[in-house]
Amino acid sequence: MAKFVTIGERIHCISPAIRRAMEERDPEPILKRAKEQLAAGATYLDVNIGPAENDGEELMKWAVQLIQSECDNVPLALDTANKKAIEAGISVYNRSKGKPIVNSADAGGRIENIDLAAANDAIVIALCSAEGIAADNDERMMHCQNMLERGMMLGMEPTDLWFDPLFLVVKGMQDKQMEVLEAIKMFSDMGLNSTGGLSNNSNGMPKHIRPIMDSALVAMCMMQGLTSAIVNPCDVRLMETIKSCDIFKNNTLYADSYLEI
Amino acid sequence: MPFNQKPQKFNANINTVEIGCGDKAIKLGGESTFPFYSFDAPVENAPKVGVEISDTGIANVPGIQEYYAGATTMGEIAKKAEAMEGADFVCLRLEGGDPNGEDKPIEDLIAVVKEVGEAVTCPLVVEGCKNVEKDAELLPKVAEALQGKNVLILSAREENYKAVGAAAGLAYNQKVGAESAVDINLAKQLNVVLTQLGVQGQNVVMNVGSAAVGYGFEYVVSTMDRIKGAALSQNDNMLQMPIITPVADESWNVKESMASEADMPEWGPMEDRGISMEVQTAAAVLASGSDAVVLKHPKSVATISKMIKELM
Repeated sequence: MAKFVTIGERIHCISPAIRRAMEERDPEPILKRAKEQLAAGATYLDVNIGPAENDGEELMKWAVQLIQSECDNVPLALDTANKKAIEAGISVYNRSKGKPIVNSADAGGRIENIDLAAANDAIVIALCSAEGIAADNDERMMHCQNMLERGMMLGMEPTDLWFDPLFLVVKGMQDKQMEVLEAIKMFSDMGLNSTGGLSNNSNGMPKHIRPIMDSALVAMCMMQGLTSAIVNPCDVRLMETIKSCDIFKNNTLYADSYLEI
Repeated sequence: MPFNQKPQKFNANINTVEIGCGDKAIKLGGESTFPFYSFDAPVENAPKVGVEISDTGIANVPGIQEYYAGATTMGEIAKKAEAMEGADFVCLRLEGGDPNGEDKPIEDLIAVVKEVGEAVTCPLVVEGCKNVEKDAELLPKVAEALQGKNVLILSAREENYKAVGAAAGLAYNQKVGAESAVDINLAKQLNVVLTQLGVQGQNVVMNVGSAAVGYGFEYVVSTMDRIKGAALSQNDNMLQMPIITPVADESWNVKESMASEADMPEWGPMEDRGISMEVQTAAAVLASGSDAVVLKHPKSVATISKMIKELM
């Protein structure tokens, strides 16, 4: 089995420093976060430029070239609601370290992002919801099937659709957590890849609690067969948990210094 | 239905490590396929064959004695080794340094190293005496004495990797051997700590240990298999160092190679058995993932290098 894929989430325009850097095309704050996340063990980096309705294409091209040229062609997840911006990003993307990820499609209004990924030989994150959160796993798996079929009809490899069960916040949806874990198992049993914004579970919790909840959940998810997550790789506890689970799953070979690499 | 070949492709490769200088320099590793799987992708560099010589003189095997006949100094022996049919490099073993054996002083051994270094133009590998304390003193001096020749120093081990790694890999810019005894976790760990010491992963060659065929050899095979598997399919860059396996010592020191024909008449001539053990062990470690082997009998060297050519 392949190693768990961590997608670093910290290049996000919701952060004031990153937003400003994107507006002013200032490389430093973006590269700093890129390098921090890579040093912490991220495999992919998510590049969230927000809705970027005005200059999304130029901005995404700039960001992709900047980060890849300075960080040894690190593979990227292109994260925006602006489809043209994703396409523009892919047009300048270097694939030597991995395909680009389109973040994201869903089974509702954003289903055409699967077509975009298929046309560009990209991976796509396929969110198993349409309008609002899926009511149960029957609905989740129906969305999964629909998106899988659409991708395959367009010639995609099934493994290039990474299914996102949609992680739910514990404070408010505690009774739905096991369902999410069961959905991951169903993806895994079908041989599919999966990912998602795992730290959503701990939204609204005190800062010192979040790494604990996130680590516990990632371990349970990896047991269920989750193959990737969009996380903050600078969370040491979380990364230690992921690396340890990769050992138990025989995804990486144990060495005494396994946490340091 | 016609056979539809689907090559197994990996997005990873073994590091390429160059040893020696000039026209005769060799490249170890570089492949992105399992050993000899040339049907999946071209094998970047053919595995290499080295000839072992020792500071303790010429091995007491008739065919080896005959080959080196007339060579009296270490320089002459090294030149003959270099000229052996199928040889890509020479491996000088300093076994006379062993405190439990001849315990030669370091200065005497360094004199041998210099003599051999001056005699040959092919790439050189120098192996210590296997005593970790003595090697920790000896090998840094070897690295110093051979500056500029881009030699491979065998080996840094768990107990002395700091002394050997810092001298060979950092101070004198040589290639560093990382030796573990058929222990896959330790093989990886040594690469991690050598890298943390500052030695470039691209300057490390692993010796993951060996055994003569029939002597726990299945552990050797599974160790090499697992290392190549993790290096290629899991893209584990702490296991992407090429592997060198000294075969001569193990295979000439088992009863199949040492029992006299008088004791074991039904086994046939002793020398033929030794060659057979050496050839079988070498062929097996190459098929398991070694990028280089070290042998000593001229017949073994010729046979294995022919095998490699025909499988490429």
